[in-house]
Amino acid sequence: MLRCGPFGARDGEGRVLFESAVLELPERSVTVLEGPSGCGKSTLLRMISGLLPTTGEEIRELGGRSYGRSELPEWRAGVTLLAQDAPVLPGTLEWNLEWPFRLRAADGRAFPRERAAALLEAVGLGGVAADREARSLSGGERHRLALVRGLLWDPPVLLADEPFSGLDRKMAEVCRRLLEAFAARSGHAALVVLHDPIVDRDSVRRIRMTPRGMEVA
Amino acid sequence: MNPALIALTPSDLVVASLFVLVAAGLSVALRLGLERRILVAAVRTVVQLGLLGLVLERVFAVRRPIVVVAMIAWMIVFAGREAVARSTRRYGGIWLDAWLTMTVSCLLVGGVVTRVVVGVTPWWEPQYVIPLLGMILGNSLNGISLALERLLEHLDTRRAEVELLLAFGATRAEALREPLRTALRTGLIPITNAMTAAGIVALPGMMTGQILAGTPPMQAVAYQVVVMFMLAAANAIGAVVISLGATRRLVTREGTLRLERLFRAGGARGRGKGRAVRRSAG
Repeated sequence: MLRCGPFGARDGEGRVLFESAVLELPERSVTVLEGPSGCGKSTLLRMISGLLPTTGEEIRELGGRSYGRSELPEWRAGVTLLAQDAPVLPGTLEWNLEWPFRLRAADGRAFPRERAAALLEAVGLGGVAADREARSLSGGERHRLALVRGLLWDPPVLLADEPFSGLDRKMAEVCRRLLEAFAARSGHAALVVLHDPIVDRDSVRRIRMTPRGMEVA
Repeated sequence: MNPALIALTPSDLVVASLFVLVAAGLSVALRLGLERRILVAAVRTVVQLGLLGLVLERVFAVRRPIVVVAMIAWMIVFAGREAVARSTRRYGGIWLDAWLTMTVSCLLVGGVVTRVVVGVTPWWEPQYVIPLLGMILGNSLNGISLALERLLEHLDTRRAEVELLLAFGATRAEALREPLRTALRTGLIPITNAMTAAGIVALPGMMTGQILAGTPPMQAVAYQVVVMFMLAAANAIGAVVISLGATRRLVTREGTLRLERLFRAGGARGRGKGRAVRRSAG
């Protein structure tokens, strides 16, 4: 369903992190990207999303449509990165869920207020006031907020960079199920970088990053 | 020369320099450690202004447009240099952007004020053109350095917020709305404050000078009003043009951040994990 690459990157000293990395995600799947710390997983995710500069020779295909360089904003609206460290915008918790729907990329979609309340409840943020300043949330709370924002935006593909960090095992399990439910639907998929492999290894597709390319494990 | 003008003699300047010695003495007495810097600054004031005076006397005496234009070009170069020197963060192309901004505000604001408002003839009359453009450049410099400082700081320290917007499909304009807004606000606040306080808190310098030189107060006021508005425009143009120039270099049209082009003045390029990554043939 999604196909993009090839990507290559080097570390600060000029050593090759990865080369010719091509990524394919089948529909209705969660793919876990594995590799040792510092092997460039976050870099690859940011290159897929087009936030980091690339050679410009890579292809980006989603659902049978090909996206050129000038269509990167549209691509990102459909292949959305949940960045490491779960950044928030200054403003309230509610605003932090709502702002994507004010973007041109929302194309007039309305903010799903009721679903937002239900998801916040599900991840244990139901008790947090909607007008609470988002920057005052703890790391774990921000990660849950980021996941809820991504699920509400509901793009075809979510790229999640360590989405469960700072969460206790029980809450991580809740979030994992939400992400799996998102990706199990027709026309959807997720690519996840995990520090702590809490995901049941048999139920997901795994890709191992090596300096030479990607190996489906 | 106006008969009301009292000429200053070298001995007047010697007396005035006692004031600087008092300031330096104060620094010694209170152990502020500033006496060296105060004296160096005082010497620089004398030397720099003295040279400027000599140059202006020549320029006024020669009375040729090419000389006036050369003088203005020289002022633009130094104003751009100063604007960049004040910035703690820089990016590849900042010099060109600063000079371009200075040139734009000089031509636009300077052109309108000298040609349309004051109606200087000939168009290069140095007595009008040089002081007016000097003030325009000084204020563009303020607008540039304030807006630039805030904009680059935002992109550097709040990069994650800009990327968050981009990650959800925000266009470059959408993702940069907040940094641009704060940068322009910062660039425009000082001149707004100056207009608000004009004549109440302080007598504007140019008006004071004109009155000292014997201009009737209402004429001096008229000039000062023109100058204030001119400076507001120079400030605004400086802040806007440099901000657009900087964002165009640091964020591509399709919303890819090129913050590896951003570096600290006197420091190395590229800091942190994300920034150390260079592109390679894929």
